[in-house]
Amino acid sequence: MNNSENGKHSKEGLREMRCKFNPLSRSDGSVMFSQGATVVIAAVLGPIEVKTQNLSIEGSYMECNYRPKAGLPQVKERIREAAIKDVLELAVLSEAYPRAKMSLQLQELEDRGSIDACALNAACLAMLIGGLPLKYSFAAVHCIINEEGEFVVDPELSETKHQRASFTFAFDSVDGNLLLVQTKGAFKVAQFNDIECICRSVSAEIFSFYRTTIAKYHSRSAEQSAATKEQSSGLPMET
Amino acid sequence: MATKVTIVMPGERVTAVEDVAKGKRVILGPGLRRVDDKVVASKAGPLRHKEPNTFWVDSYQRRYVPARGDLVIGIIRARAGDLYRVDIGAADTASISYLAFEAATKKNRPDLNPGDLLYARVLNANADIEPELVCVNSNGKRGKLGMLQDGFFFKCSLNLGRLLLRENCPALTALTDELPFEIAVGVNGRIWVKAHSMRETVGLSNAIMALEQAGYTEIDQICSNLGDVLQA
Repeated sequence: MNNSENGKHSKEGLREMRCKFNPLSRSDGSVMFSQGATVVIAAVLGPIEVKTQNLSIEGSYMECNYRPKAGLPQVKERIREAAIKDVLELAVLSEAYPRAKMSLQLQELEDRGSIDACALNAACLAMLIGGLPLKYSFAAVHCIINEEGEFVVDPELSETKHQRASFTFAFDSVDGNLLLVQTKGAFKVAQFNDIECICRSVSAEIFSFYRTTIAKYHSRSAEQSAATKEQSSGLPMET
Repeated sequence: MATKVTIVMPGERVTAVEDVAKGKRVILGPGLRRVDDKVVASKAGPLRHKEPNTFWVDSYQRRYVPARGDLVIGIIRARAGDLYRVDIGAADTASISYLAFEAATKKNRPDLNPGDLLYARVLNANADIEPELVCVNSNGKRGKLGMLQDGFFFKCSLNLGRLLLRENCPALTALTDELPFEIAVGVNGRIWVKAHSMRETVGLSNAIMALEQAGYTEIDQICSNLGDVLQA
């Protein structure tokens, strides 16, 4: 693997990730998640009552809504929504709650590149914090081939202006299997394989981020006693 | 349990449980499931263990999932034939038969209307059928269950509900030192309180809601504040 000499990001991998749990008070679990300057809010509800037309006795019905920063969702957003829904349907342990619905709402706050991957990672964190049963957690990584033929992992918006090809991969946390592949542009099979390997290794960083933030959230709630009495920031926390 | 807390993530094999399971039967609580001969987590959070053999994954879930034997507060939604539909905050509305009340007969129906509050026990909780409630114990006595009249009702997190219901919960003992009141706590994150006056009831509910953000050490302080507020 030759990721060390490729692109300026491939050295340190992803842009900085931050998250804040439960910024919304009325959902069953919500998270504000950012990768670099790209920010998304994800909220989950579930298990909740389902419309009869979507009711399934085998498992729960998964609903996913994606809202762009401004205006109504268009075709582009619908495609993103469908991709996220597909990944979630693979990951959710739907037989745990038959005849119910799990609903995920995603609100884009700022798109500064890699929004697909960022939205998927936010969705996963929201599911984790909402306590919905999952078969595995998942992480998505975006990567491009720029004009010089270099690989850039998790690119900024400015870097994607002159890209030759872009890739989004999602992996599961247990076997590292591919859950989603989205590609755009022209590339060679060898490049595809290289980028898949790079993204797979970078996804480990995201999984460890999930673990540390969840651990922090729980330890914080357990020993909240420490002179933190700011009313609003009692439950939500920043990392 | 006081030792290092292990955080489990969905899909992870939990070998700690498997080791115990070799020697004796174990009980897998929320967030753990058996896949063939492996124990796998399905939620993220710290793994908890209660002697001798119970394991579960702790989480700050906000959605109530009914379990048999739980005490819940429900709101009557409608009456359907010889059933009442009750909203208990779960995925499905629960049902309660009009015969599941003390001294109820076919002639002598309980007088419940949509909007009434009910303190009930979950009799039946299965993912495939709607939950069923009762307001009597196995001897046909109502005990503390039944309709909640007057008072004030509010929602809180599931954790606060469980905290108040815990044996030797410091909050309730501290509050009873301040003023006399009635309280019904449902594990579905719903609380009903009633004190002598409206003023006391509101103060009490504010104190309980303040506990939500508080740690164990602040409980005494909040509860004694309540006394000061009411005297002022």
